[in-house]
Amino acid sequence: MDKILLKKALPQWVKKLQAYRIYAPTKDEDIWTYEVVNTPEDIDLEFLTTALSPKKIIFPQREVYFEFEKPDVDNPDIKETLPEDDPTIVLGVRPCDAKALTLTDLVFGGDFKDVYYWKRRNQTYLVGLACHTPPSPNCFCLSVDGSPHSKEGLDILLTDLGDKYYVESLTKNGDKLLNLAKNLFKLPSAANKKEYQKIQAESEKNLKRQITNLKKVPPKLKGMWDSPFWDDEAMSCLRCGICTYMCPTCHCFDINDEVLSSTPLKGKRIRTWDTCQFPDFTMHSSGHNPRPDKASRLRQRIMHKFQYFVETYKNYQCTGCGRCITKCPVSIDIIEVLEKVRDYGS
Amino acid sequence: MDHNTYIPKLAKIIEIKDEVGGARAIKTFRTQFLEDNGFAHQCGQCAMLSVLGKGEVMISISSSPLLKEYLQFSILKMGRVTSALHEMQIGDIIGIRGPYGNSFPIEKWKGKNLIFIGGGIGLAPLWSVLNTALGKKKDYGNLTLFYGARTSGDIVFKQELDELKNQMTVHLSIDVEEPEWEEYVGFVPLNVLDKKPSPKNAIAITCGPPIMIKFVIQNLQALGFKDDQIFTTVENKMKCGIGKCGRCNIGLHYVCKDGPVYSWAELKNLPQEY
Repeated sequence: MDKILLKKALPQWVKKLQAYRIYAPTKDEDIWTYEVVNTPEDIDLEFLTTALSPKKIIFPQREVYFEFEKPDVDNPDIKETLPEDDPTIVLGVRPCDAKALTLTDLVFGGDFKDVYYWKRRNQTYLVGLACHTPPSPNCFCLSVDGSPHSKEGLDILLTDLGDKYYVESLTKNGDKLLNLAKNLFKLPSAANKKEYQKIQAESEKNLKRQITNLKKVPPKLKGMWDSPFWDDEAMSCLRCGICTYMCPTCHCFDINDEVLSSTPLKGKRIRTWDTCQFPDFTMHSSGHNPRPDKASRLRQRIMHKFQYFVETYKNYQCTGCGRCITKCPVSIDIIEVLEKVRDYGS
Repeated sequence: MDHNTYIPKLAKIIEIKDEVGGARAIKTFRTQFLEDNGFAHQCGQCAMLSVLGKGEVMISISSSPLLKEYLQFSILKMGRVTSALHEMQIGDIIGIRGPYGNSFPIEKWKGKNLIFIGGGIGLAPLWSVLNTALGKKKDYGNLTLFYGARTSGDIVFKQELDELKNQMTVHLSIDVEEPEWEEYVGFVPLNVLDKKPSPKNAIAITCGPPIMIKFVIQNLQALGFKDDQIFTTVENKMKCGIGKCGRCNIGLHYVCKDGPVYSWAELKNLPQEY
């Protein structure tokens, strides 16, 4: 059921959604981040690519698995700390970041469901915003099976038509959110529909970057394990890990104990984001490291996203958001790396 | 709500045995859960052990699934958690989650001769399958064990090995000569080559230091063993145990979930990332 929402009516809709916790892009100096918004005025839907994707809302950088306590005489006590019931809306999700969540869903699902992830995921609703002009000069979603107006993973998709949004509800949850403010949503006119289609077509042309024939990359990577290519490409890497930290699809994590008191023992077991770009990520306690150098770690990053994940889950583990390219301090550009892989040896 | 696999179940240490002393100390722990929780493992599977306040470590379960009274772990003192485990006393409580990983396909091995080849602490992962085969001896052919360590002082399960000699063929070795030592002197792969086990209707299962495994496999191949007759276990650094935290992979295999047991036919096609 397609609708039209006037931009000036957006605050009224947001007010009707106040039973939910609402995350939206907010601007602080030149950086947009997803924050919990208390008033509609804090929301900035004219945003460029946010520092982090909404992944951080579902899979936070730090998660307490449980608290533990060991009284002097008794057995230890373990208290599970699941996320609370807190129905959440993320307003203004770019299609690439929504698609990224459908990919982390694959990882945190499967035989062993990650209950922390799913507790949040199942109570989070995504209101997307299609991109007309790319929010980053390094956007390349079309090359990785996405698009600036993709609906994948979203409950609602908004398309900016100037003074109004073209509103598409894509799920039952989307319908629910629209029904909370029924009178604000009008039926689109034929002219609205035409405009919407025009903007979709333009948005694809507006993308500045692409990689052609990406489908050649996964099979090519299979034969490049021992290639000196990785040494050359990783030469300038500073091992800062920003590429994976910013990535909406990266999911690797660490688990550690935080001790608050040693006698009596009291503490927490926590999960934190981790990265394959750090040397100790794979280092055995003996000191042996299966990925001992920058080359093997860049290879892991590229192989994981464009070969292993493709084979396991039939998807690239990349949605073309461009964050890793923009943020890399030494300009390692994943599009260029992939182009070189594609053309390697030919 | 689905089961929360990250929450360990509490277990009491009911027995501790000093296997090896010194800088590379090994202790064997037997544990019992405080509450029955249906934990049931298969040969070759691992468990994530917790020392609260220190963290977790993935350890191979060395007791046979046929034994229901306790779980056994033989642990080399190496990092933060294993060092903390070595400080623990009988009656202390640890956490256990799992079991994780695949297992040895022992059902498919019925009627075959089994040759176990271990080095150092690498006997622990073999111990559960070896004892399961012994427990169902009539299901299998001849059972043979090759086991070696750096010195006689580094040999684990000494008493059990003596008893084992009455039930199966046992070839022990140490790396360098010692006055009282009457068995083979030299590396495990050389002992295998020396005793020439027959590949006919046989399965060889090997675990130990990576360099030992490499040469054991080479020598088994020289004796005529085919790639699918050779099995080994792999280890990598692990945190989650369920294929999500992203660090133990060899190519697209997560060792915690898809391993740790591999036939050489499978492992030889995976990148050398362990």
